[in-house]
Amino acid sequence: MRAAIECDRVGFAYAKRPILHEISLRIQAGEMVGLLGPNGAGKTTMLRIIAGMLRPEAGHVRVLGQAPGWRTLFHTALLPERGHLPGWLTVGEWFTHARRLYPDWSEESERRLVADLALRLDRPIARLSRGEVTRVGLVTCLARRAEVVLLDEPFTGIDPLGREIIASAMVRECGELGRTVLMATHDVRELEPLFDRVLFLKDGSIAADETADAIRARGLSVASRYREVFSP
Amino acid sequence: MTLDPPWRPPAWELDPSQPLYEQIAHRIRVEIAAARLPKGARLPSVRDLAASLRVTPNTVMRAYAELEQDGLLETFRGQGTFVAREPGVEARARARIARQALEHVRRVAADLGMRVEDLLRLGAEEEGGDEDARSH
Repeated sequence: MRAAIECDRVGFAYAKRPILHEISLRIQAGEMVGLLGPNGAGKTTMLRIIAGMLRPEAGHVRVLGQAPGWRTLFHTALLPERGHLPGWLTVGEWFTHARRLYPDWSEESERRLVADLALRLDRPIARLSRGEVTRVGLVTCLARRAEVVLLDEPFTGIDPLGREIIASAMVRECGELGRTVLMATHDVRELEPLFDRVLFLKDGSIAADETADAIRARGLSVASRYREVFSP
Repeated sequence: MTLDPPWRPPAWELDPSQPLYEQIAHRIRVEIAAARLPKGARLPSVRDLAASLRVTPNTVMRAYAELEQDGLLETFRGQGTFVAREPGVEARARARIARQALEHVRRVAADLGMRVEDLLRLGAEEEGGDEDARSH
């Protein structure tokens, strides 16, 4: 199988404080993978490096065989933890803009997602709640036919029923094209059925890399395994 | 080729501490054994079932593959996945479930250090006792 994302001994420090240390991993095309760990473990930094927004200080990263950069932006969609959406536009105006901005935008997916996620197109982005901003970000990510989807805390500010709807939409939009999904979260219990594999990130290192089925074959949920890995 | 809309699964609650593909395969096997999913019935696509159960497409693919290997499902390229039309499909599904139930009883008996017959007899007696208690 083809690797969609490869990291080889990746390291990163910020103001001399080490954030990531010797991260090596391989994510196969079509896999849905959870990047799990508490706040400050380095999850966001990891996603930003894979997305090509930060350059690693050590090691190598390959996304679909290429070093992250402007070329890989065409097949990578990132949902940032805090939105970078233009607050002065309405939701509808933003999507009109996004259609022109992204060559891989699918209007059919956009319509489906806007209906399922119950977004109101006439609302200015600046006036949205946290959960609504997350939803607009998710539509922006998932309406693109990008082969690699990176999601940072995709359930921020979303109520339980909304989470179920989003989880279904995520699977539907990603399953069709066999897209590779890497999701960073500490919301393990809600998202765990959406992981084929999980990477536990502890203090900037991969503490464990296991398939969800291997964990469950031992009679553990991913949430219990998370507690095992991270409890002091 | 069947053009009926595919069968829709009930809202199954999956246990996150057991392999999900096994649970999905088991639930479908039960539906076939009970003939709620009849021969030739069309199953949802991998993507649709994954979206409605909120699991990964790979999980559903693995469940379908296991049932295909058991001869309970068949997939035709470009048409979809169907309950196998050959005779004896229900009986085969039922036999597999019966075997699993027996394995479970054996495990419980072994945990208690009992013989299976004694465990079953005790269970039947308990049940009878309960009914007596209720009738009083």
